[in-house]
Amino acid sequence: MRQRAMWSAALVVGLALAGCGSATGSGSSSGGSDGKLVVWDWKSGEAFAASYLEKAKADFKKKHPDVAVEFVAQPFDQYYTLLGAAIQSGKGPDVMLFNGGGQIRDRVDALVPLDDYVADDRQRLAGWDAFTKDGKVYAGPVTLQGHPIYYNKELYRKAGLDPANPARTWNEFVTDCAAIAKAGAKCFALGNKEGVGIQFWLSIMASATLTAQEYDDWVAGKRDWNSPNVKRIFQLWKEAGDAGMNSDGANSTAMFNDSFAIFQSGKAAHVMGLMSDVGHWQDFTEFLTAEKLGVMDAPVVTAGTTPSLPFDGGIGYGVAKWTKDPKVAADLVRSLTSTDALKAFYADAGAIAADTTIDVSQGGPAVTTIVSEIKSGKPALHVALSSKTLDLMGRLSQQLLSGSITVDEVVKQLATSDQAG
Amino acid sequence: MPIGNTQPSVRPAQAGRTGGVAVTSSARDGGHLRRAGGGLRAERLAPYVLVAPAVLIIVLLRLYPLLLGVNFSFTGDGEQNGTAVGFDNYRELFADPLFRTALSNVGLLVLLLPVAVAIPGLLATFIYLRVPGHRFYRSVYFFPAVLSPVIVGAIFNLLLAFDGPLNAVLGAVGVGPVDWLGDSDIAKFMVVGVHIWATFGMALVVFLAGFATLDAALLDAARVDGASLPQVIRHVIVPSLSRTIQFVFVTTMIGMLTSMFGLLFVMTSGGPEGSTYLPEYYIWIQQGQMNRPALASAASTILFVIMLVVGLLQIKLLERSGKED
Repeated sequence: MRQRAMWSAALVVGLALAGCGSATGSGSSSGGSDGKLVVWDWKSGEAFAASYLEKAKADFKKKHPDVAVEFVAQPFDQYYTLLGAAIQSGKGPDVMLFNGGGQIRDRVDALVPLDDYVADDRQRLAGWDAFTKDGKVYAGPVTLQGHPIYYNKELYRKAGLDPANPARTWNEFVTDCAAIAKAGAKCFALGNKEGVGIQFWLSIMASATLTAQEYDDWVAGKRDWNSPNVKRIFQLWKEAGDAGMNSDGANSTAMFNDSFAIFQSGKAAHVMGLMSDVGHWQDFTEFLTAEKLGVMDAPVVTAGTTPSLPFDGGIGYGVAKWTKDPKVAADLVRSLTSTDALKAFYADAGAIAADTTIDVSQGGPAVTTIVSEIKSGKPALHVALSSKTLDLMGRLSQQLLSGSITVDEVVKQLATSDQAG
Repeated sequence: MPIGNTQPSVRPAQAGRTGGVAVTSSARDGGHLRRAGGGLRAERLAPYVLVAPAVLIIVLLRLYPLLLGVNFSFTGDGEQNGTAVGFDNYRELFADPLFRTALSNVGLLVLLLPVAVAIPGLLATFIYLRVPGHRFYRSVYFFPAVLSPVIVGAIFNLLLAFDGPLNAVLGAVGVGPVDWLGDSDIAKFMVVGVHIWATFGMALVVFLAGFATLDAALLDAARVDGASLPQVIRHVIVPSLSRTIQFVFVTTMIGMLTSMFGLLFVMTSGGPEGSTYLPEYYIWIQQGQMNRPALASAASTILFVIMLVVGLLQIKLLERSGKED
């Protein structure tokens, strides 16, 4: 009897200890001391990242053979919540993956500026702007993320349009869409359930609507929401919705990945997609084949503008403030953005890597067009906005589609939010 | 073998126990005689010592973090991290139209609560009164309760999609398609409806358990007196089940306020136009997406106060009505 009680007590204590161990396990593996670096991301668990990580680790081992690296893959939808908790407690991973733009800029308090460490990579890699705040770089770019307009050449042919010559001006584009509608397809596959559709719209239409000066000012933080050209972008969003150019039920269609499915299945002729990860040339090529997939510039709205590809650093690795030796952690970031590693990432994940020296001609005409436009491309406008303003813009864009708000009211609210943040 | 082993171990234990009682009773006698002594004090302290583990767990793991959270809600975010900002977060919350929408949706949930309680209550009554096929329905009604909100949400996302089956059926009978989850006036009712569908099974089981304690003689007497079904429900079943109804009211309310996150996340993401926001979704967005943990703490504190007030009010109201009956 007594022995049995002893055993069960031992079991309870053991379980309790095990419970404590697993609860604190992830937290305690921090600090970068005793020759170990912990990396948080949401990619390393996936099969396509295997050879990328292998290359990066091999490169890092050459520089620091005695430092071990541990990759911890977090679920993406929880990632910033978990990271927020880690930042709040002041301890966590030494190196962490970030999305460019607001997600990293909101958290630079917890990061080490990398300017001195990555100086040699500045020329080779593109997309630094998305990881820069107040002139300091906080992460090394891994992929580029941008927003081309993809179109379905097969639907163009069916509608009697020339697939090699998509519309160059907005008026031509509207006429083309009328022909496409007659052929039984929608003009745009749009998913705005998450309020992301408007972000892509804003960034894609901007270079064809805003003057070059307005564009550069916007990215630099001098945003004139009352400019007629800015209003025009939201006006066009509303007009396209009212004219039935979008796929049905845009406000209840998830962009990821229902709207892309609409485009892939040939129910809509255009989609404002991505360059990397999902909703991109590789996904679409699988369904439409490389010959039927085209990439076009934004149709010119304001005469005299030159459309360009909006793109930024997509994801990149930053170094936490609390790491023991920032130099070692920065070296890991450099290994994670080395040409060999990025080549593997491009090949396996189909992402446009930040290293523009990688040859992509095997990927088909769409990806070749995209990469050729990176040189003349500019940062996307929505990336310059705070998460809070983007969230508001998402909701307002849904109201524009449902007709419960005016364009003037939208720009007014966005201006207030933008100035406050 | 087992018998041989247990017998001797039981006997000494019994002997020890009786011996113990004898000792304490004699000690008490001695205490009375001396009007003081360690035994009395030990006995007075004993209950506190015995409840101490439970109290400590509640205080350390529940109340203390709660206080920390409330305290945290009075500090700033970002650059002001850690500095006291007074009621700034609360002021910001009430100035945010999105949070006000979330609160008004809480009001909507409170208004819809009687419906959410009445549905399982009525269905349980039918099952108790043995309508044809009641065994079948009993298991069917409970079935959705075992599905995770994410799965339920995904199923209804498909059913309610603009090009989904429900609109196809409507189209077949000549009614135009409805954007169930894309129209800001409809979406919130769809989410609440799906939530009720997914969770009423639990409440149904609680009601059935309540019915098990119902005195069948009362029902028979009512029938003999010629009471109709509505009269039986009004005058016999509801008063007898007031405790159960009270419990279901409170748990359903808490369920609606705290466990609709999964459905919201999957079905509407708070949209369209922010019309389906609830405080918990707002908290998550501020904490996780906007990097505003202190603001999220303030919203959590408000949600906690709402739950406290609503729960206490319900118990008060139902206690009163229970007494009157």
